[in-house]
Amino acid sequence: MDADRRAAFLKQLHDAVVDMDEEKTPRLCREALEAGIDAYTAIMQGLAAGMDTVGRLYEQKEYFVPELLLCSDAMYAGLEVLRPQVKVGEHEAAGKIIMGVVEGDIHDIGKTLVKTMFEAAGWEIFDLGKDVKLERFAQTLRETGADVVALSALMTTSMMAMPKAIAMLKAVDPKVIVLVGGAPLNAEIARQYGADGYAPDAIAAVETAGRLFTKAA
Amino acid sequence: MHLPQDRMTSQERMAALFAGRRPDRVPLGAMSTGFNTRNAGHTVAEAYEDPEKSFADMQWTTEQYGWDPIPQYAGHTVLGAWDFGGQVRMPRGEYEGALVVTDYPVKTEADIERLRLPDPRTAGRIPLALRFARLQAEQGLPVYFFSRSPFTMAANIAGIDRFLRWTMKRPELCEQLLALSIDHIFNVLGLWVDTFGAERVFAWMSSPTESNQLVSPRIVKKFALPYHLAYHRRLADLGVRRFGFHICGEQNLNLPLLAEACPWSHPSVLSFGHEVDLETAAAHFPKDILFGNIEPAVIQTGTPEAVYALCRAAIEKGKNAPGGFILGPGCGLPVGAPPVNVYAMTRAVHDFGWYAA
Repeated sequence: MDADRRAAFLKQLHDAVVDMDEEKTPRLCREALEAGIDAYTAIMQGLAAGMDTVGRLYEQKEYFVPELLLCSDAMYAGLEVLRPQVKVGEHEAAGKIIMGVVEGDIHDIGKTLVKTMFEAAGWEIFDLGKDVKLERFAQTLRETGADVVALSALMTTSMMAMPKAIAMLKAVDPKVIVLVGGAPLNAEIARQYGADGYAPDAIAAVETAGRLFTKAA
Repeated sequence: MHLPQDRMTSQERMAALFAGRRPDRVPLGAMSTGFNTRNAGHTVAEAYEDPEKSFADMQWTTEQYGWDPIPQYAGHTVLGAWDFGGQVRMPRGEYEGALVVTDYPVKTEADIERLRLPDPRTAGRIPLALRFARLQAEQGLPVYFFSRSPFTMAANIAGIDRFLRWTMKRPELCEQLLALSIDHIFNVLGLWVDTFGAERVFAWMSSPTESNQLVSPRIVKKFALPYHLAYHRRLADLGVRRFGFHICGEQNLNLPLLAEACPWSHPSVLSFGHEVDLETAAAHFPKDILFGNIEPAVIQTGTPEAVYALCRAAIEKGKNAPGGFILGPGCGLPVGAPPVNVYAMTRAVHDFGWYAA
């Protein structure tokens, strides 16, 4: 396939994600595979590139959470087609991350968006869901040896679980990078709680994790 | 509690504020449902399920910290998920501070077709809220009726992520839920007016799902604003004059829309989070009483000195707002807030809140 045609395919994939088109995106993914485009390339230069643009639109206050959710739906619909075609072991994940909403909190919309952005950035994700018992974060860290743990809380009450969770995680692996986020948190509280980083939104979470991970490496 | 320099009782202070006159000092209030019961050695769940205990704890806490009776309630009078048949459980454990929805009544379009308006005498925790309201009435206090905005209630019926997706893909389903939500609010509000009289009822609303942390002003204009207009038409028809609005979270992009529509009677109490600057709020809403906006996370995790400094800055900004000002947390007072941090708000009012006699 010539470079122009390949670029046009990838641009269409990018646009379908940005346009929140959950039907068109998997169809284009199938067409891309049939046309001989490598699945991993279609993910990273099509779907993930689309989510990068979506992140910028969010930062510019063009897109808000409803738009992010629909773009995310489109991306996942595409991933379902492409992922089984990626050759196992051929591409290394950007890093391993455990994420979840802490015990006592069922608000998971922020964590869902964080997951999408890490997915787009090529991380291996262990999503523990919402209202996660603190011991489960530590147990999953023991089992997976993840590089980063991202804790989310929306309530001032539930964020009080974070210092305990962070202490438990650091006891398992002092080098693990712990990020916190959620509406009541800020950088100062993150510091008080012993977190390595704070991110005000899903886009910043990926950037912060990437920066801290590179620094630690 | 009567501060040594007080020249007015709480009732006189609030009356002056609503009459557009300067009170003796900046009033102080808090949305403090779970904090009250924890403060009195009870559980957060008891704030929601034991109206008598909740009311007594509220009265003691109000006296302890020198709060004025604004706003005073124990959780929402009406709820979306619970009232419409979903599953809700009481808060439990170390880290829960509010009711927890475990199952939403609407998951599909067909679920909406099956929804019926709840019976205001039996649904959710309305009967318990009515018992709490009777205690307020017996003590000569305003009878608070607390609902979410129709937009926020509709999202609570369907679950927020589903509802937000529908704003983009199935707007007609959102409209159905919004219509049911506002009808439910007014069915119950009608019961309150019949029971206590419109003059005694203080309608209070919060709108967290309209926050720009979630939705654009486009969505607010399309789905939320028409129901704010309808709400205030119906509130006026019922004869309820007192209204408070907790404009929850980051809503700076919505302020011009709300200021232009401004459907409430004046003065109403407009409560802001720390995300909205009080001078900005005063510029948008010069005829209304501002309430806020101390950051709850600082009240919970900061030092008393930090809370005191925030309060001083807020008083200096808000004290001369043309419509008046009440100091308080920018959202619900965290249930586990250290008592000294809560007292720091009282002390700041005592030190900086006085108006010239």
